[in-house]
Amino acid sequence: MERSFKEEVAKLRLGEGETFHGEAILAVTKALLQSGVAYVGGYQGAPVSHVMDVLNDAHDILDELGVHVEANANEAGAAAMLGASINYPMRGAVAFKSTVGTNVASDALSNLASAGVKGGTLIVIGEDYGEGASIIQERSHAFAMKSQIWLLDPRPNLPTIVEMVEQGFELSEASSTPVMLELRIRACHVHGSFVARKNIAPRISRKTFLENPEFDYGKICLPPSTYAQEKEKIEKRWPAAVRFVQERKLNEVFAGDMQELGIICQGGLYNAVIRAMQMLGFADAFGASRIPIYCMNVTYPLIPEELVEFCADKKQVLVVEEGQPAYLEEALLAILRRHEVGHVKLHGKDVLPMAGEYTGEAVLTGISKFLGKDEALTPIKNLKDKAARLLGGLPQRPPGFCVGCPERPVFSAMKVLESSMGKFHLSADIGCHLFSTLPPFNIGNTVLGYGLGLASNSAVHPVFGRRTLTMMGDGGFWHNGLTTGIANTLFNRNDGILVIMKNGYSSATGTQELPSSPQHSESKAPGMSMERALEGLGVGWMKTVNNYDVGATMKVLKEAMATKQEGLKVIIAEGECQLERQRKLRPVVAKQLSEGKRTVRVKYGVDEDTCTGDHSCIRLSGCPTLTIKDNPDPLRRDPVATVIDGCVGCGLCGENAHAAVLCPSFYRAEVVQNPTWWDKLVSRIRGTAIH
Amino acid sequence: MNLPERPITILIAALGGEGGGVMADWLMHAATECGYPAQATSIPGVAQRTGATTYYLEIYPEKRDRLGGRAPVLSLTPSPGNVDIMVASELVEAGRAMQNGYIDPSRTTLIASTHRIYATAEKMQMGDGRFDSERVVDAARELAKRAVLFDMRKLAQESGTVINAVLFGAIAGSGVLPLPREACEAAIRHGGRGAEASLRGFAAGFDIAAGARPAPAAPVPPKRATELTEILRIGKERLEDYQGAGYARLYEERMQPFLAGDPKLAAEVARHLALWMAYEDIIRVADLKTRASRFERVRREVGARDGEPVLVIDYLKPGVEEFASVLPAFLGRRLVSWAERRGKLDAYNIGMHIKTSSVLGYLLVRALAWLKPWRPRSYRYGEEQRLIGRWLALVSDAAARDTALALEIAMCAGLIKGYGETHRRGKANFLAIIDALVENPPTSDAREQAAAIRKAREAALADPEGKALGATLGKPVVWLKQVART
Repeated sequence: MERSFKEEVAKLRLGEGETFHGEAILAVTKALLQSGVAYVGGYQGAPVSHVMDVLNDAHDILDELGVHVEANANEAGAAAMLGASINYPMRGAVAFKSTVGTNVASDALSNLASAGVKGGTLIVIGEDYGEGASIIQERSHAFAMKSQIWLLDPRPNLPTIVEMVEQGFELSEASSTPVMLELRIRACHVHGSFVARKNIAPRISRKTFLENPEFDYGKICLPPSTYAQEKEKIEKRWPAAVRFVQERKLNEVFAGDMQELGIICQGGLYNAVIRAMQMLGFADAFGASRIPIYCMNVTYPLIPEELVEFCADKKQVLVVEEGQPAYLEEALLAILRRHEVGHVKLHGKDVLPMAGEYTGEAVLTGISKFLGKDEALTPIKNLKDKAARLLGGLPQRPPGFCVGCPERPVFSAMKVLESSMGKFHLSADIGCHLFSTLPPFNIGNTVLGYGLGLASNSAVHPVFGRRTLTMMGDGGFWHNGLTTGIANTLFNRNDGILVIMKNGYSSATGTQELPSSPQHSESKAPGMSMERALEGLGVGWMKTVNNYDVGATMKVLKEAMATKQEGLKVIIAEGECQLERQRKLRPVVAKQLSEGKRTVRVKYGVDEDTCTGDHSCIRLSGCPTLTIKDNPDPLRRDPVATVIDGCVGCGLCGENAHAAVLCPSFYRAEVVQNPTWWDKLVSRIRGTAIH
Repeated sequence: MNLPERPITILIAALGGEGGGVMADWLMHAATECGYPAQATSIPGVAQRTGATTYYLEIYPEKRDRLGGRAPVLSLTPSPGNVDIMVASELVEAGRAMQNGYIDPSRTTLIASTHRIYATAEKMQMGDGRFDSERVVDAARELAKRAVLFDMRKLAQESGTVINAVLFGAIAGSGVLPLPREACEAAIRHGGRGAEASLRGFAAGFDIAAGARPAPAAPVPPKRATELTEILRIGKERLEDYQGAGYARLYEERMQPFLAGDPKLAAEVARHLALWMAYEDIIRVADLKTRASRFERVRREVGARDGEPVLVIDYLKPGVEEFASVLPAFLGRRLVSWAERRGKLDAYNIGMHIKTSSVLGYLLVRALAWLKPWRPRSYRYGEEQRLIGRWLALVSDAAARDTALALEIAMCAGLIKGYGETHRRGKANFLAIIDALVENPPTSDAREQAAAIRKAREAALADPEGKALGATLGKPVVWLKQVART
């Protein structure tokens, strides 16, 4: 794991009346325990990774309460786990990033929602949308609507979020329907505080067993039950949910004196709306707004009665709804029409952007236009124009491979190969290795989803005269790549080359454990192997290569390209994630040094007087510590390459210089710390002999 | 009682792995301990992997117990023109904040480190692709209410800590927040690990932002030789070191015709000529790699302490061209043309890891340097001198017509640099431009011709595949190895 959650785990123990300070996603975790949850699962991914990370570190507390926690194989597995609540009145929760996680989970979610639940089920989704997102930009809202899962979108402060977790379970039970809790990126990471309640041990749990399995054909998703279930959704569960939301007043109305106007917003956007109105002089610092606000902490189902009542005395109402399609705005138009509230002019996507995050600026712009205060935007435009005039275009800074990353050398090898063999098609996959598509590599032609690299290559390979490549991480392998990709390719007798990045962890999401991780926490089984799984499936051509040996990686890639052997060829590119490696190494080295033991520190460097400033080395590496500096030669102008502090001595730059025959400027320096008398003697002899 | 109208807003732009999250925690802790309502959020995600990311905080500057149970509504996203303290851990990130409208002259205190961490897009260019730092500094002075700018990374390194500590100190020292110094220091102590080092960095940043001590002076960039006399002097010294006094005299003789002409042209010719004549062959590289000053520099660069032995291992991979370059001209020529015909120029490179700091390794490399007296009889020497002569004649001819044109031709020499394939590519680009635009110019107008050469030269540096240059010249530049088709 990338970081330790000891301090956070302690927060899960807070009792009645104590104040929790911390991140919202951890507050949600605490709220789950306060709600008497019996089991929790999920799959890692920003912005909700920390739910699972913290729970994995919190076995003591969970064992005391009897809560079952599982790091599921993927989101589908997590959602399927919620099936426990179909027959048994136990509360369960899962967390994953959305929409990608919800996509993977949707089969199980459909079945779950159709069967209905006895115990409250909560699906915590990290809505990875807008600035900082790492996935395709879509809304999770559609999933809620199509499967009829209630969707909570609480105001982004800890007390409200925590309350909505607790209410969410009750709503789920009151309406026999699973509930989604949608948290945007910034809301997941918001730091604040709330007054805690004590944790509740679940009534049914690992400690208090069930005795009789329940059988109810009505809960089976097979006709004719499915027909009855759909009817029940409409006739019983929906009205029950609407009633619950109304009675508990989950949606909030904030009164204001400008009665003719109104704003209807998603709960998650409430703070942005208030800030925009503060800036325009329509609200104070405490949220008292002159314009009435209907804040939807529940965005599905809609409560027509409340909406009609809110709009009844208004002339103009603005809907602040992030993303597209504009489900809420369109539903509201229909509701108003159906209820013959004809006098209200409804605004929304006409003044607010259809696509993209509702940032402070976007909401300010929309509300300014709604209020006819466009002039409020002029100073901002002036500021930006002036900056643009003074600065021109700035270089972009997308994320990239870390210092010493074991995945980078594989792409270096591919890049060198490209120059002699021509470009080839590479079907990319989800994971850090997808950074290969960015400069300096620009390798990777498509990406279709997590673990789907090989499957997405199926129809590409047969239409090329030469072999194509596919990338898959060990994370993607276990997520579903083993079956969807590898078994499928073998079964269909497809050819092709699959490179599996074996770095040992689910690195992009925070280096969580995988079945094939080199070491395991106590709660996980050791010794699961990708290689044995591949052999078992019958992969005939499999080679393992040490990534940092660029020459060897090139050789094995060439071999895979050239071999006469038909069928899938798998290259296991091995190299432990440096984030983990350094995390383990650092204390060991520090201990060695403090004990006065001999330690060799390796750093790479570039001779500034032989470097001519062409930067081929950088185009083959992209390492953050391989950078440039002013040329010290007074006659030269182009900056020279240099290796700065932070180099972990992985050796890629030297390897590249060799593999691509770049230049003789790279050197490897081995600094002997705490040298022995022998080191000193040899050093003295060398010093005397050489100079 | 009059309550503040709005919270104080703080936007922090950082790069993944710089401890921006820890700094946000410190600020939150200090504000909370002081009793102020505060909120922090961030968008880490994959930006944690070296990309640009932001943290955003709001602190309401009145204590919670005086609010009568009311809580301010704090925003999760910054708004342009609504930021009180803009913090940037790197200079271009400060520029990005300006472009997004977050720095307002009536309101924003900008706290930014002036060091650069170059983006891949800047580093990977074949020439100098760096963004001009001065533009950001100048814009900051114009756009910020107050700009606290100094090299915080350097200060962090000197304090044995990470840049976030210095930034935090500068935030506290700027006096915009209602947080006393002690509260901030307590927040660092509360954070635990590395607190002492962080406090040193914090103190340094605090004092500078508070004006209690001056910001450290920016490092002086290495000197550039621009004046003709200076260039001539350096050139002469370099070539004397390279091949002796006679070779230095050859340099002076070659410069002679230009001295009476345009001084700017003469300076550029002198600069390129000196660099070209001191071309990097295997002898030169061996010589530079075995100098005492080089081992000293390596020690400095890797931060070796006194008494710590440093082993230096060089990555060398000489091939056909390197071997041919030191052969007698007639043999070298045959070898290279044979290898070119067969596409074998890169086929026989021998990868070597030579421990240059050991006696044997040193002698091995030094032995190559001892070939210096032989150099004038080598194949490569002849090739280089012939091409230099051709270039000088073209510059000289052009100078008689138009100085600007001559200058453009002179600058084409800068395309030839590097080793192996890089050198071959540069040379091919040079020859392609000379052939298409100098020796067979498409226009008789000197100004048009100069513009075409400049455009072609820039195109040659646009991409290593030669696509841009090929498009500019209207025909492909051939230097790439034959792409093997299987």
